[in-house]
Amino acid sequence: MPIAAAYRDIRVLMIGLIALLGLAFAAQGLSAAAPTAAMPTTGAEADAAAAGDASGDAAGAGEGEAAYEHLGPEWIKGQPTSFEEDPWKSMTFQDQYTDDGQYALGMNMYILTPVIVLISAFVFFLLLVVVVRYRRREGREPSRTTHNTLVEVIWTIVPVLILIAIAVPSITLLARQYKTAPEDAITIKATGYQWYWGYTYADNGGFEVISNMMPLEEAEANGLPGHLAVDNRMVVPVGVPLRIQTIGADVIHSFAVPSLWFKLDAIPGRLNERVLTINEPGIYYGQCSELCGARHAYMPIAIEAVPMDKWRQWVLSKGGSFGEDAEVDEDANVQAPASAMEGAPAAGDGLTAADDGNAPSTPVDTGVAEEATAAE
Amino acid sequence: MATTADTFQAHDDAHHEHDADHKPGFFARWFMSTNHKDIGTLYLIFAIIAGVVGGTISGIMRWELAEPGIQVLNMVAPWLGADPAQIDQTLHLWNVFITAHGLIMVFFMVMPAMIGGFGNWFVPIMIGAPDMAFPRMNNVSFWLTVAGFFSLLFSMFVPGGIANGAGTGWTVYAPLSTSGSVGPAVDFAIFSLHLAGAGSILGATNFITTIFNMRAPGMTLHKMPLFVWSVLVTAFLLLLALPVLAAAITMLITDRNFGTTFFDPAGGGDPVLYQHLFWFFGHPEVYIMILPGFGMISQIVATFSRKPVFGYLGMAYAMVAIGVVGFIVWAHHMYTVGLDVNTKMYFTAATMVIAVPTGVKIFSWIATMWGGSIEFKSPMVWAMGFIFLFTVGGVTGVVLANGGIDDNLHDTYYVVAHFHYVLSMGAVFSLFAGFYYWFPKMSGRWHSELLAHIHFWVFFIGVNMVFFPMHFLGVQGMPRRYPDYAEAFSFWNEVSSIGYIITAVSVLIFFANLVYAFTVGKKAAANYWGPGATTLEWTLSSPPPFHQFETLPVIEDHHDYHDHLPREGDAKPVTA
Amino acid sequence: MASAANPDLDQKNLRVALIAMAVAAAMVALGFAAVPLYRIFCQVTGFAGTAQVATESDAAIAQRLASSAGAKPISIRFDANIAPGLPWEFAPEQNTDVVQVGSRDLAFFVARNNSDQPVTGAASFNVEPEQAAPYFNKIQCFCFTEQTLQPGEEVRMPVLFYVDPAALDDPNMEGVEQITLSYTFYRKPAGDS
Repeated sequence: MPIAAAYRDIRVLMIGLIALLGLAFAAQGLSAAAPTAAMPTTGAEADAAAAGDASGDAAGAGEGEAAYEHLGPEWIKGQPTSFEEDPWKSMTFQDQYTDDGQYALGMNMYILTPVIVLISAFVFFLLLVVVVRYRRREGREPSRTTHNTLVEVIWTIVPVLILIAIAVPSITLLARQYKTAPEDAITIKATGYQWYWGYTYADNGGFEVISNMMPLEEAEANGLPGHLAVDNRMVVPVGVPLRIQTIGADVIHSFAVPSLWFKLDAIPGRLNERVLTINEPGIYYGQCSELCGARHAYMPIAIEAVPMDKWRQWVLSKGGSFGEDAEVDEDANVQAPASAMEGAPAAGDGLTAADDGNAPSTPVDTGVAEEATAAE
Repeated sequence: MATTADTFQAHDDAHHEHDADHKPGFFARWFMSTNHKDIGTLYLIFAIIAGVVGGTISGIMRWELAEPGIQVLNMVAPWLGADPAQIDQTLHLWNVFITAHGLIMVFFMVMPAMIGGFGNWFVPIMIGAPDMAFPRMNNVSFWLTVAGFFSLLFSMFVPGGIANGAGTGWTVYAPLSTSGSVGPAVDFAIFSLHLAGAGSILGATNFITTIFNMRAPGMTLHKMPLFVWSVLVTAFLLLLALPVLAAAITMLITDRNFGTTFFDPAGGGDPVLYQHLFWFFGHPEVYIMILPGFGMISQIVATFSRKPVFGYLGMAYAMVAIGVVGFIVWAHHMYTVGLDVNTKMYFTAATMVIAVPTGVKIFSWIATMWGGSIEFKSPMVWAMGFIFLFTVGGVTGVVLANGGIDDNLHDTYYVVAHFHYVLSMGAVFSLFAGFYYWFPKMSGRWHSELLAHIHFWVFFIGVNMVFFPMHFLGVQGMPRRYPDYAEAFSFWNEVSSIGYIITAVSVLIFFANLVYAFTVGKKAAANYWGPGATTLEWTLSSPPPFHQFETLPVIEDHHDYHDHLPREGDAKPVTA
Repeated sequence: MASAANPDLDQKNLRVALIAMAVAAAMVALGFAAVPLYRIFCQVTGFAGTAQVATESDAAIAQRLASSAGAKPISIRFDANIAPGLPWEFAPEQNTDVVQVGSRDLAFFVARNNSDQPVTGAASFNVEPEQAAPYFNKIQCFCFTEQTLQPGEEVRMPVLFYVDPAALDDPNMEGVEQITLSYTFYRKPAGDS
């Protein structure tokens, strides 16, 4: 095969690729622009207003501390999509409800996905060309080329350039994710136990919400997704920075919520911290993401993000407090770790209530065990 | 062509027939073997058995995951002495399976097949050596590996906390593996790594010595076939990485049994340190599993294109570069443990660097084919499948390399998809490519090329169906190591499980092909792939004599092996 | 067999093999040495959120530096955890406190033994965000030693600390408004101390 012909092939190939790249970007832009660009702005405001209304109603009815009403299933935003519901969405990232999540999603959509698809397509195409053109035929003399400095330099330099193009937004994303929380951020400590989560609100009286997976039948009866729904959600205010701290009580767990682009290991003896700001009110589901023993698959995470005034109602309904009140409330302070400790039996049975406000339901085995026996 | 060696072989046939083929009796030959080819064969048989065990376990896993809920684990629970009525025992069994599957496939299937099997068989032949440098140590390596395998299997039947078996994952993270798992199962699982690790370290020493000292006259380092280069780099990785694992898991043992607190915060230890040590071994381990595959693919692509490897030096040093960089990227497996921002940025950047030498290899293989005269025999088809699927696995690695992106994907099925694309498709495709390439050489009998092609296509469809949907599950947020999942994940899980059945069928085809070869398979000639096959093993009969190269072949200076091209009128290889 | 025929080669092989085994042995040693090395690395650089230990004179120097540079307030959060198996209550006296960078501050944690026997505990600790760890200096801390509490005993345990004014010059510390100091108490096995 003469060298000139090979160069011609490569040139044609390059032109084709550039055209393909342009097309891919255009298509990505078209399909992506409509939903993602429109939703966070207008959608968020509408949602916030609606959630505000809901809380207004609740306040009107109950007037005060115990009147908090949890968001219903219609508020579920962060959860996986089944293929039956929407084939396309079942193959992509969950919609994102934080700014960093949006940024990461954009980086994936406009840089990573096109790059990896094009590289794979390029290699596939080259293999196809090779198969078609260089198949053994009578009288074909194999070329004797074993070196071509120009080509070798190109296939070293071009990947370097592509990687730099990826590294710039990648480093930016990291810098954004590591912004520290402001002093007045709402602080919530998520403690991973075998096999449930505890959410401690240190500045609000130090109460701890114990969160177990909801038995499957109960979830179904309430219109909530099985394996993801919990008895007591982690309720947080929307739109303000949250200082999320994680720690493991026994073994390593991982606090992860895909729709918030958030994952932080909960390691025994070592507190981790990251800031999280949720843009819209709603319910966001996640699951433990570090192997932690038998019921690793049955300790989901559910975050309920509500407007600030509603969140304050919820805190009051849990017997919590705000501001300076909390710091003199020594009883609550001391109580929290004590209950955390007692609520951590190895087998997960016989959980003790952290406080009267959130008695945990029976552990998960009911739902799963029944299903297991039913299957026999 | 390797005319010198051809001449040598004729010489060998004529004068040393008797000596060369003198074999010891059955027990001495197979249980006390010091012959690199016999040990290679033992390793291959062992790897196939371990692969069947590991593959069966993954079959149970895929069956369980075919739909949400627990349907299968409670059925198989009694096998391992668990009580199916106790849901925690049943769930523990899941963790035992994922642990065993991972450890078996890594330590007892891929590594023994690549390094122990093909490495033992062909490294000495390719460099023109009569055997490995330390034949008896070679035998010790093999039996240590077997002992390790039995220790791991044994661990599944002794108490490991909630029920029998070690349910810690192949990473054996503390404190789940220390205070989190009571009972001897984890100790036996760890001990199995000690045994397999010791075997591999001895093996690495053997390969390094063999390659440095036992090359035939004229076989300079820069003339060595790329497969030998790949085994050399791998041996160094083993030598540097495995001892660190040995130290780390020894500390786990003492933390478990002797009251030390290396990884226990109660005594001032740090569980994250274990992860640092594990992945300092674990990342090079990934390259240990794939580099010999790279080497085999290079040989195969060159053979069937009838061209020398494009950019030989670049290919060799790309492997060296991958090996070196492989030691400074480990923390990308631990992005979510709470690393500070600068550390995470460094590991993001360093990890991406690996894509460059890997790209050089991919493009060099294609350039080797470019302008060639390619014959699509089964090894070549497997090799082309490897190149494409490894690329797919590689590019998802670039995605995962980004610390910020990994915050979503870490410990999800996306990671599972990624490492199965580079291992289950990368390493295993190269293993099958190597197997079909060398099987007639090793056994002296032909497999069925038709069955080999069918095997390829069924396997190709099967594994892609198993693992491609896992990308979707991962981006949707399904965490790994889950026996049960939300309804929304069910469709892609089901597709994946159906893919497993297809893959299993293809493995049956593979075994049918072995049966075919050993019953009706035709006798294989010395160089059955024709003039593209230029390395020294093609100068020997198929199978090679029990002792080869008793007179060392001479690789002459004018005979620039890698730039040498077959030409019309070249001496035809011996076909008797 | 080549080895039988060639004693020179045997020598050469043995040499290479011994070097290789020595390398492997060195890597095992390095694996074990990683434990103290990691600890030292963390103590020196603050890696993994390891707070620094300082003397009174360090503190005095920091105080002078801070007063010359113009003190800046920073919020400190105190976090307390108890590992399973330790029958204690353990909590900070106050959740947060605002201190001047460079100034010494004394914080108290309260621990109480709820069991009917003496129990010894030891605390692990770390600082978040991690970039603050190299500047967070403890002069005195209950975590430096093990603590034994008699049945029903309640103690106030002090931490004397300051934030190094050098933090103000570190670009990584920009935007850090609150530093969390976290402790986890573990039970020491009986007779182990």
